[in-house]
Amino acid sequence: MPVLWSIARYELKYRLTRISTYVYAGVFFVLAFLLALTEAGAFESVTAASGANVLANSPQAVAGLVTILGLFGVVVTASFMGHAVVKDFENRMHPLLFTTPLSKTAYLGGRYLGALGAALLVFAAVLPGAALAYLSPWPDASLIGPMRPAAFALPYLAILVPNTLVTGALFFALAAGTRQMLPNYVGGVLLLLGYLLAGVLAGDVENLRAAALLDPFGLYAFEAETRYWTTAEKNTRLLPLDGLVLLNRLLWLGVGAAVFAWTAVRFRLSQDVRTWRRARVPQPEPVQARPPIVTLALPSAGRSFDGRAALDQTLSLARRELRAVVTNVYFYVLVVAALGFLAIALAVGDSIFGTPTLPVTAQVVQVVAGSFAVFVIAILIFYSGELVWRERDLGADGLTDSLPIPTWVPFTAKLLALWGVLAVLMGVMMAAGVAYQLASGFTDLQPGLYLTQHALQFVDFALLAVLALTIHTAVDHKYAGHFVLVLYAIGLPILLTLLGFDRTLYDYGSDPGVSYSDMNGYGHFLGPWTWLKLYWAAFAVLLALASTLLWRRGREGGVRQRLRLARGRVTRSVAVTAAAAAVAFVALGGWIAYNTDVVNDYRTDAEARTLQADYERQYKPYETLPQPRITAVEIDADLYPERREARVRGRYTLVNRTDAAIPAVHLNLSSDLAVRGLRLGRPATETLRDTVLGYAILDLRQPLAPGDSTTLDFDVAVETRGFENTTRPGAVVGNGTFLSNGVLPHIGYQPSAELADASDRDKEDLPHRPRMAARDDSTAYGNTSLANDADFVRFAATVSTVPGQTAIAPGRLRREWTEGGRRHFRYEMDAPILNFYAILSARYALEEDVWTAPDGRTVDIQVFYHPAHDYNVRRMIEATQATLGYAEAAFSPYQYDQVRIIEFPRYAAFAQSFPNTIPFSESIGFVADVGDEDDIDYPTYITAHEVAHQWWGHQVAGAAVQGSTFLVETMAQYTALMVMKAEIGETQMSRFLGYELDQYLVGRATERTREVPLVLVENQPYIHYRKGSLAMYALQAMGGERRVNAALRRFLDRYAFQGPPYPTSADLVRELRAVTPDSLQYLIDDQFETITLYENRTVEATAEAVGGDRYRVALTLDLGKVRADSLGSEQPAAMNDWLDVAVFGERDGREVRLATQRRRFQAGRQTVELEVTGRPTRAGVDPLYLFPDRIRADNARSVVIE
Amino acid sequence: MELQIRGLSKRYPNGVQALDDVSLTIPTGMYGLLGPNGAGKSTLMRTLATLQEPDGGAAVLTGAGPGGADLDVLADKPALRRTLGYLPQEFGVYPKVPAYDLLDHFAVLKGVGDRGERTALVEALLQQTNLWKARAKHLGGFSGGMKQRFGIAVALIGNPRLIIVDEPTAGLDPAERVRFLNLLSELGEDSVVILSTHIVEDVAELCSRMAIINEGRIRFEGDPLAATASLEGTIWKRVIDKADLPALRESQQVISDRLLVGRVVVHVHAEAAPGPDYAPVEPDLEDVYFCTLRGLLPAGAWSGGPGRPAEGAEAAPVAVDDLLR
Repeated sequence: MPVLWSIARYELKYRLTRISTYVYAGVFFVLAFLLALTEAGAFESVTAASGANVLANSPQAVAGLVTILGLFGVVVTASFMGHAVVKDFENRMHPLLFTTPLSKTAYLGGRYLGALGAALLVFAAVLPGAALAYLSPWPDASLIGPMRPAAFALPYLAILVPNTLVTGALFFALAAGTRQMLPNYVGGVLLLLGYLLAGVLAGDVENLRAAALLDPFGLYAFEAETRYWTTAEKNTRLLPLDGLVLLNRLLWLGVGAAVFAWTAVRFRLSQDVRTWRRARVPQPEPVQARPPIVTLALPSAGRSFDGRAALDQTLSLARRELRAVVTNVYFYVLVVAALGFLAIALAVGDSIFGTPTLPVTAQVVQVVAGSFAVFVIAILIFYSGELVWRERDLGADGLTDSLPIPTWVPFTAKLLALWGVLAVLMGVMMAAGVAYQLASGFTDLQPGLYLTQHALQFVDFALLAVLALTIHTAVDHKYAGHFVLVLYAIGLPILLTLLGFDRTLYDYGSDPGVSYSDMNGYGHFLGPWTWLKLYWAAFAVLLALASTLLWRRGREGGVRQRLRLARGRVTRSVAVTAAAAAVAFVALGGWIAYNTDVVNDYRTDAEARTLQADYERQYKPYETLPQPRITAVEIDADLYPERREARVRGRYTLVNRTDAAIPAVHLNLSSDLAVRGLRLGRPATETLRDTVLGYAILDLRQPLAPGDSTTLDFDVAVETRGFENTTRPGAVVGNGTFLSNGVLPHIGYQPSAELADASDRDKEDLPHRPRMAARDDSTAYGNTSLANDADFVRFAATVSTVPGQTAIAPGRLRREWTEGGRRHFRYEMDAPILNFYAILSARYALEEDVWTAPDGRTVDIQVFYHPAHDYNVRRMIEATQATLGYAEAAFSPYQYDQVRIIEFPRYAAFAQSFPNTIPFSESIGFVADVGDEDDIDYPTYITAHEVAHQWWGHQVAGAAVQGSTFLVETMAQYTALMVMKAEIGETQMSRFLGYELDQYLVGRATERTREVPLVLVENQPYIHYRKGSLAMYALQAMGGERRVNAALRRFLDRYAFQGPPYPTSADLVRELRAVTPDSLQYLIDDQFETITLYENRTVEATAEAVGGDRYRVALTLDLGKVRADSLGSEQPAAMNDWLDVAVFGERDGREVRLATQRRRFQAGRQTVELEVTGRPTRAGVDPLYLFPDRIRADNARSVVIE
Repeated sequence: MELQIRGLSKRYPNGVQALDDVSLTIPTGMYGLLGPNGAGKSTLMRTLATLQEPDGGAAVLTGAGPGGADLDVLADKPALRRTLGYLPQEFGVYPKVPAYDLLDHFAVLKGVGDRGERTALVEALLQQTNLWKARAKHLGGFSGGMKQRFGIAVALIGNPRLIIVDEPTAGLDPAERVRFLNLLSELGEDSVVILSTHIVEDVAELCSRMAIINEGRIRFEGDPLAATASLEGTIWKRVIDKADLPALRESQQVISDRLLVGRVVVHVHAEAAPGPDYAPVEPDLEDVYFCTLRGLLPAGAWSGGPGRPAEGAEAAPVAVDDLLR
């Protein structure tokens, strides 16, 4: 053993004499310092990354920082571990070493431990880096809590040390086994792949456990264990070292130990490495008869050194380089890894509620491109180094550097080869994508889309390839080059953001974004994209020239010598090309800046924030001024999809419903609008027009008396000029316009435009503001949260669009005509609507049906969809019919005579309910693959939810106070659940509720401000949708669906179509309480009016046969209930609650419920007995997850039959 | 045509003076550059092969430029590379490529654009370097001698006027070495061929002109035969016990010693027989080499050339393995 230690010491000492060790440590220190400062809100330009209430130095935040940086440590571990063995072979030291009486264990163990020690020392630099940042004066003081040494030590010891042990063992094994460095890089890629795969899996909560075990770095194990931690827990609790974390650590330490042991056994202290291939022993030369000694005579061969020859040379070199890469075993490993990743990403990647999406090309191509991108960075870094260093690694540089080829030839050839590598991998993955589509029985392929998508992506990476080669050329040290590239890949975006330079003009290779939609193709994204790519291409030419000048040719490696040589290489053509590229770069840059900053207003996040604050500072005083309300809307909109512009003329009828005379009308004008004209129906003068903040004041010559009315005529335009730093989808697009009335003029100051985020308000020195008015603030009852300038309005619209497209607005289509080569549509609403509407236009296919009410009344159902997306149209129609049927029976009559669902491009993924008009994104539902019986039918769910909004939202909307969305979203969610329950089985329902529970728990864990009880929801989706689902489902399951519906019916009866004051959640809860028996009133306390969670657990489940097919099942339960405050601190709560206990068995391979017992339980440990018919398999408490419980996996357990 | 080297100097960043004011005039034909390991041979070769930058000095290949002009070896690298054949001291090649393919590839890189001509050239080169039968084999499976011959084949593409062969026989077994030298001997007489080596026999067998370099300086330049002749009658041999060697070194100009069945054969330089135990030896190039390294011979003794053994130069230690081949 002493030998082992002395070898380890020697290795460690060797590392500590290397400058690179200190560079790595320094880099980690600085990265940790900067990242910690960023999280602690030290940088003006960046909002704190974690929730506003989570301390930057909380145990969880520190652990996150340490582990993320630890991921990049893989590069260091690979290098240290690899060199620890490979250096002996590279320097041909091994024959000397291996012939000493050194034992294998001492040699391998010593080298491994030495390198491990060095790597751990380097990573330890993260801790002081982060700690110093927290202690420095720069962080936002409110984000810094007490410093706890354990918060630093624990992640280091529990994450970094084991990770380095494990990854180190793997790298060491690879290097020792192959005696090369190369496999380590491939190994590093594979390890990161494990992490990324875990990420893909973790996207669906049902796979979280698998992800937690698969991730070699343990991040997802922590994620799984701390997923539901509330703010309070994040700030106080240390990392848990049990459960999945412990399992993951043990599993991977085991893997590491096994690999190391295998290496130790297999390693031979021998001259040559054992390979699985036939050893290549130089064979004796065939003896040949040789002609007598003569003068060598060679046939003459013409030579040329012109441009053509150089081109041939370039291609010949490129071919050779490419072949060398793609015929190498490591490339196969990468390809197999990439395909494996792709397969898993395709299989689990794109699902909603666990239901897959149809493998339409747009979808598959996205997954393929995403998977490719994962690999391509690694490939670029790795192969750019290999290519630049190939001749020197082979020792062929003497031969090749003295060849009569221009210096640009080898660089260009290597660039082409690197592009070739990308293209080959891309081709393979593309083929895999097609194969996947065909294997899924999907033959609706779009080869053109594959090609364009990959061509676009290729350009990105082709540019990056130039940079990678340039860096490797300039750095002239292979591993340092790799490190610089890794730093560039992760560090530059962070740095640019920190400096507020996060715009395309400064970020090499970036673009304004491209978004594909089946409906709109690449639309208007392609133009700006091309400009930016041309701009960066010009820069890439400059990089390539610099590379050519700096290209290492010969032995001179000193900086001064290389610069001198570079100067010597500046020929006329180099100078001319450089000048041309520089001119192009500057000119294109100027053109881009002109477009983004002159034609459009480029604003940094901070500038945009200040502008928003200015709006509040300047116009908030007007908030309480009496203003008229809109009572009728008449719209005349002309859409110009090809120009992405619209002209909207309209007339609002305004009525003074206040008690005071109104001297001036205030208008809020979206700054995206060009205002051509504003005119009141009576004499008035415009005294203010702020085009930057979007505000106008029209002074009436005669104040508008109470009860009096007038009109506002407006003429506004959505204009598109040039392009912006980031291309926005925009409302008006080539095919798939979706223009909502949010952009049209509104009356009065709009508080919704104020800065909401507390830290943003701090930065602007604005006082914090409540997210919503308090529920008992009756001054806010005058508005719904949909509009503050109107109640119910009369509505009519004329919309014109280009031929081929259909334009749609709420209302009945009264007339359709063509005029001036354009299609015109006239829509009129026969019932008043909330002032909330949208205009859509695209080339649609149309599917129609009707729903007939029991009384014979009919409702027309139309689905306007992209012709290729007919997959779920029938399903949507049926869901609409089912929802109409359910809601009419349960609540009240439907107020219109039609429902229309209209597809819009996938730029956004939602569906939204306007009066009888439901825009529905192409990415959700239209392409869902609800094949399996157990799949959650989310197209039906979403459709039902949106149709239900025709009641919950369009018949009654809550006052703009806390709990407002409880009346709208929670009730729509409840309706959808009831429609689903009628259509689908309990298993599906319980799976669905499982997702809802997860989303609720994750939502509260990532809450930035505070969690509130359901009835006080402040427009928080995780509460009004997710918790709302659970609470309402539990209420109807416990108290009865009919009772709940009776309450809702009474509520609607009272408040539907009423103007202000609008109802609040208190009004609805009153109705619910009225129908709920006393024994269940606690349910409303718990799930509606407080934050209450259960901690239910089945500790033991046994069964004994009692004759025949009867079994007696005994369950030991551990039950509990807690109340949480708004930050998640919990107090135990008394419990005397109804819970279901259920026993499951199997019939025909499917799980069936054998028995359910509903009974009251107290908190604490207790046993329950049930008798069932059929062999029990699983049993437990609250098996359907009706109640929030952070650990739901232990609600039920397998039954042990005695 | 000749290669004129004037005052070439190179000092490495670590302080080693690799070349110290080296001046040589190298005519066409095979020219031997002899010197011990670390003498500066490879630095000189790489400098002439455009791979290294000297600190000062000049090198011109007269009459090799366009229209018979002189070619500045150091300044006009592209032009020199077009007429250069360089076989580096140690080199690697793509291991998984057949010899034929790789030679063809090098021919393209050397500007042989016409496919037919290239094929003829590559086939002829493989024939003449005796690699024809191995043309389909991967280079990774080549023996040292085959690899060196392949290197020569690469160097010969494009009819180079300056051929630099750096330590080609190091590491070859005797049979391979003979084959390789035979091949070198066939190189034409109208190119400048510089053979750098630390093996005296290489030069003795092939070169009509030579130089000896040590510690970055040219110690000798001239005709090997004339140099050998000039030592006539001054080299004496004696067989002694190992233990007596130090004492002998004190009393005599021992230029070399070699083990022979447990005893030591020494060569001594002296104008007359140093004693009765000494037998006269017919001098060979090796004696010239060692005399030169030890600074025993006055510069004037040599025919032609600016070589100038440094005055009072310390006798360089001669490594035993220089003698034990």
